[in-house]
Order: sequence, then structure tokens, then C-alpha cells
Amino acid sequence: MSLATQIMVVDDEEAIREALEAWFIKDGYRVDKAESGFEALERMTTQHCDVYFVDIKMPGMDGMELLAKLKEKQPDADVIMITAHGSIQTAVEAMKLGACDYLCKPFDPDQLSLLMERVMASKALREENLVLKEQLMERRESLWEGFIAQSDAMHQVFSIIEDVAPTPTPVHITGETGVGKELIAEAIHMQSQQSEGPFIAINCGALSETLLESELFGHERGAFTGAVKARRGRLEMANKGTLFLDEIGEISPKMQVSLLRVLEEKTFQRLGGSESISTDFRLLSATHRNLPQLIKEDQFRDDFFYRINVITLEVPPLRERLEDVPALADHFFDLYVQETGKRLEGFTQRALGMLMAYAWPGNVRELRNVIERAVVIARGKIIGAEELTFLDSSSKDCRLGTLTLHEVEISHIRAVLDACNWNVSRTAKQLNIDRSTLNRKIKRFHIEQ
Amino acid sequence: MTIVHANQSNSIERPLLDLIVFDQVDKMAVSIIAANLQAVAGLNTNILPSRESPDNAFVPVRGQFDATLIIKKLAGLDDGAPFKLGIIAHDLCSPILSFVYGESQLGGKAALVSLHRLFDDDPEIYYQRAAKISLHEVGHLLGLGHCWEHFCIMHFSSNIEALDSLSISFCPACEYEINRCLTSITVGGDE
Repeated sequence: MSLATQIMVVDDEEAIREALEAWFIKDGYRVDKAESGFEALERMTTQHCDVYFVDIKMPGMDGMELLAKLKEKQPDADVIMITAHGSIQTAVEAMKLGACDYLCKPFDPDQLSLLMERVMASKALREENLVLKEQLMERRESLWEGFIAQSDAMHQVFSIIEDVAPTPTPVHITGETGVGKELIAEAIHMQSQQSEGPFIAINCGALSETLLESELFGHERGAFTGAVKARRGRLEMANKGTLFLDEIGEISPKMQVSLLRVLEEKTFQRLGGSESISTDFRLLSATHRNLPQLIKEDQFRDDFFYRINVITLEVPPLRERLEDVPALADHFFDLYVQETGKRLEGFTQRALGMLMAYAWPGNVRELRNVIERAVVIARGKIIGAEELTFLDSSSKDCRLGTLTLHEVEISHIRAVLDACNWNVSRTAKQLNIDRSTLNRKIKRFHIEQ
Repeated sequence: MTIVHANQSNSIERPLLDLIVFDQVDKMAVSIIAANLQAVAGLNTNILPSRESPDNAFVPVRGQFDATLIIKKLAGLDDGAPFKLGIIAHDLCSPILSFVYGESQLGGKAALVSLHRLFDDDPEIYYQRAAKISLHEVGHLLGLGHCWEHFCIMHFSSNIEALDSLSISFCPACEYEINRCLTSITVGGDE
């Protein structure tokens, strides 16, 4: 029951209007009354009503005509038709015109009570649906804002997402650990035709084969020891939505066969069950492993691979788009400053330079971790090199065999500057470049003492 | 904790409710209703002599009495206690409902209860039902709407099973409202 719910009773008989009013006000509804269709239409211009009780037989404008006009002016209104002489034909006509129910006077108290419960429950569901849709739209709009990327490489990824997302095509997302494959999968889902459906993710590498099978297919009661009640699996939960299989490279060939059948037939059975369950979802998958190599090693089925890999979306590692690091660092900085409540103002140039020079084997996830750590341990107002010393020592290890030419250049320039006590002229001479070139490189690479 | 009803603290225990019996009604049921109104709702009750049911309230096509018409008649009685509760043995209806166990004016003056559909082979159950319906309708008279607490006497009962599941008591919130109402009545009466 909502205290804000307004009911209008439209009946030419005063006794009926008063009786319904007396009934509803005891339940806390607000009740307005009209003795004719004309009066009802006039009242609704000044008073919004949620539910209308309309007598069918009224002089002048009858209830059916009023129903049509009410639904025209207020399509979401719940209109209940009441009559003393019901007929199936009239009832059907009323429902076709948009009435939500039809009551014959006199009705049992049970009937009226249950009817209002149903109407209010339906209204609450519709309102909740509207709110959720609005939140979904807001989330969809803000999802792109969550993607911090200035690099051409990531803009290419976004461009591919915009092309493939609206199609039902399976997309296979590749990339190193920590590049944001799940975030990419979510972005595809939010831009897809399934966006109003569920986004069901499962990390195939985190579960044993038995558990994974149960998670995906669900089980019936008694399917195995401990299965005390039936449980829906992710395949069922993903119906009309998106299923994201992360670390798909970890699943066994046997599981690949089972999943392939589901993808082709769009039906499956729960563990321990015999009933075929239909499911229709858009498949997204991801892995950091090299699936073509696994196929060669007979660890991955090629028929399953071709089914999941219609479109491949490769997310570049962070070291290949270092120009994204400052913006990402700023984003995580803001996030953790807000979380911790610390009064920090930013990074020093040297700190930024260290972030830019690092290889980021753990990619964005590692960057996030580093920034969080730096924010937590920061003593002053600015995050400087001292908050990133662990990064500096591990940077040296990461240089071995993993650095790009660009990173090698930065590292060498810094090393020579340190060796020359930051005398730019001597450093330039050592590097066999002119001073202005050196100054330009120092500025561009954010190299700081 | 003992709840002292406002009326009980009034040294002049004037009746606040007249119990008006129509036609032949089980006298024990009437006494039990009066006792419960006093004990649970704190309403001093005066049982008036039996009178005939109003003829114009009978609806021949339905074989029932129109509760609304009888209540209007009760509300028109100016003498006696400020509240009127009619007790009738016949079946009641309203213009929209096929039957009612009782009917009342929300925050008004008069209410009516029918014992017709309350009968049970076990007299205790029958009398409890009579007491519950009466307390419920009188609660409406005192301004209470339906309560969401499932045990409260003001919770709506659309059938006899639901009625039987109610306790013969008000929830704390409804109890508070009743006390507030009775306080304003007794203070106003004293003045």
C-alpha cells in the first residue's frame, strides 16, 4: 500500500462512490470521486490519479468511452471497470481497451482486496523497472567515461567495440592479465542489444572442472552430495543477456564439447536433470593465453575456438600505450584520495616520470595497486619518488628483456644524468647529442631529478 | 507494562460508546463485546435495550441489510454516548460488497457489526470473532486505518480464517493512537 496512491471512483450512483471511498480510505489511499465521465476527465486535468474505478453503465459518457479517453491521456493509469451486469464480451472489450481488471458488483471483500494488492504490486514493479532503466542509461553513458584512454591503440579498441557491440556476434577478448578484459566485456554488453538483460561473468580459471560444470549448468536437487536444492546455472541466468567466460583457455576439452553443444543448440540440461532448458545469450570470452598455440598442443579444440572467436579484440598492454599512464594514474589517485580521505594534491614530475618509465607487467591492475599503495603511504601532500621507491627497484628487474626501445632510452638518459650529477651540458656531451635535444627529451619523458 | 487507557483515568466514568442491539442477538455475545471494548480499547460501554432493525435497510433482492443505511441512522442519534456501535444478527451488505462483517465511519460516530457469519460450533471462537470485529470497527471510529502488523486487531481480514489469526489486541502504534483519541475526547468532555 502506498500512502501516495490516488484513486478516482467514477460512478453515477452516490452510494457506490461513497462505499468505495469508505473502503479505500481505511487502507490509507486518497480517494477522489466523480459522478460522470465528463467530471472525471475534468478532474484529471488538475488531480493526477494512479488507479481508476469506472462504472461501465453511466448516462452521457459510458465507462468504455471514458476508459478509452483515460488511456489516451494517461497510458500508465490502472483502470478497473465495474458493472452490475457483466458479460464476457464487455470484459474482453474492456481489456482490449486497456483496462487492467473487470469487477461485477457486488464483489466479495476478498476480491477487492486481492485486486488492489495485484494492482499495487504491478504498479510498484513498473516504477522499479523505470528506475532501473534510468540507472541503466546513466550507467551506459558513464561507462565510456570510466575508460581512461588517450592512446591511439585504445581508441582503436573503442572503435571496434562500437562496431561489434550491437551485433550478436561472439567476441573473444585477448590481452595480458590486468589490461581490463572484463571491463571491455562489460562495455560491449552495455552497447549491445542484450544490454537490458543480465551480464553474467564467470572466471573459468578460478574453479575446478566439477565446480565449473555445476556453476555453468546448474543442478537439480540430489544431483550430487550436498545438492540439497535445485540451483540455476550461469547459462540459464544469462538468458536474453550476455555470458562472459573469462580465462576460457583454462577449460578442459570435455567442457569445451559441452559448451559447444549449448552454443549450437541453445539448450542444455542441469546436472542431474532431464528437462531441456532453452537459453539464448550473447557470448563474450577472454583469455591471456595463446589459444592457437593451445590448439597445436591439443589442449584446446579448434571447433570450439572457431565458435567463440568470430571477432577477436586485442587489448594492448599498458607498456604499449604509456601515454595513458598519467590519466589512469590521475583517475586512481582521485579514487583513493576520496576513499582514504587523505589531503593529497597530486604527483611530482619525478613520480610521473617513474610511472612512465615502468614496464607494468601487471598492466592497469598493477598501476591501480601502485597508486593505492602510494596514496596510503604518502606523508606529504604530493606523491613523490619516495612513495614509489618499490617501483624503482622492481623497474630494474623489469628492464631485463621486457623493455621497449623507448624505455631503454629514458632509463639510459636518467642513468647518465645521475652519473653527471644532473649537469645537462656534460650529460649531452656524454650522450653525443646537443643540449637542446637533451632538454627536449627530459621535458617530454618527464625525467626529473 | 500496564497501559492505562485515558478513559480509565477519568474519575467520571461516563460511557463513551452505546451498544445498540438490533432484534434478537445472543446476549452473551453482546456482553463479551462490551467487556472487550472496555478492557482492550478502554471504552466504557453502555448496552442499550434491543430495538428493531430498520425496515428500509433491508435489501430484498440480496436478502441482506444495507450496513451503510443502518450506520447513517445510528449516526443520527444525538442522545447518549458520543460513539454508537450497532450489533445485528442478520447478514450485512454494502452497495459494492456482497457481504461485510462490519462497517464503520472512519473517524466518525457510528459503526455496525453483524454476527451472522461469525458463528462456530465452538462458542469461544464465535465470541472471539464477535469481539475482534467489534474492536476493529470501533478502531475505525477512533480514526485508525488498517494496520500492516499481522497480529494487530486493525489488520484487514477479508475472510474468517484471517480474522481468526488476529490477536485481540492493538499493536503499540494503534494503541498509542487510541489513547491519544480518547484523551482528546475525555479532556474535551471535561471542559
